[in-house]
Amino acid sequence: MSSHAATAEIDHHHDPTTSTGIPNKKLLMWAFLASDCMFFGVLISTHLIYRLHPPAGGLDPKVIFSPELTSFSTFILLMSSLMMALAVTAIQKGNVKSCRWSLLTTIFFGMIFLGCQVYEFEHFVHDKKMTISNSLLGTTFYTLTGTHGCHVAIGVLWLALMYVRSFKPGAGSAQRSWFSGQIFHAATLIVVLLLALKVTLGLVHAIQVQPSLGGAMGLFMKEQVLWIGAMLLALWGCVWFARPRGPVHFGVANAIDVESMGLYWHFVDIVWIVIFTAVYLLEYL
Amino acid sequence: MSSPAHSPAHGGHDHGHDESKFQIYVQIAMLLAVITGVEIVAVYLPFAKWILVTSLVVLSAVKFLFVIFYFMHLRWDKPFCTVLFFIGLVIAGGTAWALIALFQAEASLPLPT
Repeated sequence: MSSHAATAEIDHHHDPTTSTGIPNKKLLMWAFLASDCMFFGVLISTHLIYRLHPPAGGLDPKVIFSPELTSFSTFILLMSSLMMALAVTAIQKGNVKSCRWSLLTTIFFGMIFLGCQVYEFEHFVHDKKMTISNSLLGTTFYTLTGTHGCHVAIGVLWLALMYVRSFKPGAGSAQRSWFSGQIFHAATLIVVLLLALKVTLGLVHAIQVQPSLGGAMGLFMKEQVLWIGAMLLALWGCVWFARPRGPVHFGVANAIDVESMGLYWHFVDIVWIVIFTAVYLLEYL
Repeated sequence: MSSPAHSPAHGGHDHGHDESKFQIYVQIAMLLAVITGVEIVAVYLPFAKWILVTSLVVLSAVKFLFVIFYFMHLRWDKPFCTVLFFIGLVIAGGTAWALIALFQAEASLPLPT
């Protein structure tokens, strides 16, 4: 683990070495988020305009949307924001282990959110017959929520890479094979995430098509047993890559990196706060 | 928080500060979850539409502000970060308002086919 000695030297919110007094990475992220506000502002207003002037014979969102699923994914994203804030606090205190666990939990919640979105899109396209091209509602809805989902996916990838980076060996350790080793670590982690997503979707599908819980579990095990085995194997690989191997080159000095990533993740959350109200809840009034 | 956050001379104070920050984060997360629950219930209440729309907008704004000022640390950062972000936010909000107002005009409605 990293040294705690540097904790006393760093002011995590202000940087006297820059002309603005703000760390450059943080300033860059705030400027990017300000520009992303405009991007999402236009997408949300486009959706609202077409909802205020729906074409005759268009699809009814009340019949299509599922408030239970959307409420659940909203709650999950809020909890991921909490874990992200705790990850930033942990690394500011030099607690790398706690930061890693918080990052992993944030990734976990992010994947649940993405899983809900994949399930929702699949359900809308196949069961509700709403595609991106057959209705104005579908066009604006998929463009807006799909763009947000892409932001979440990029955030999950960034979180996974930051988690893997936290294992970089400290000065004096053997670093020769670190880079190639961590590429495999990152790849294994991403494989685990994708397999977990597939298995979760398989479970939801089994619960939907089978009337009893026993039948659902039977179908789930029958269809997903190979994928579960592959996921557990990849998970074992992740645990092996994360085994303790001496001091690491990750600590208080990297707090600004985690904080910048956290700003991005929280922004994704606040965009969803607006989408949840503007796109989903207002339809039920 | 204009003074250094982790001064060696104030180690005990900082430990208490970190603990309180953890508690603040958890309390805010719980509050946000409760507000989300209230929003979901509110849409099914038999009130006038304008009251419900106003309530939902206000509740969303409260959630939004809590996240940016606490989770995104704007409360403890230099005001320039707040100004920078709000420039983008105001332009985005103004664009949205202008677009929605433009499309309310009768002249903007599509011609009957």
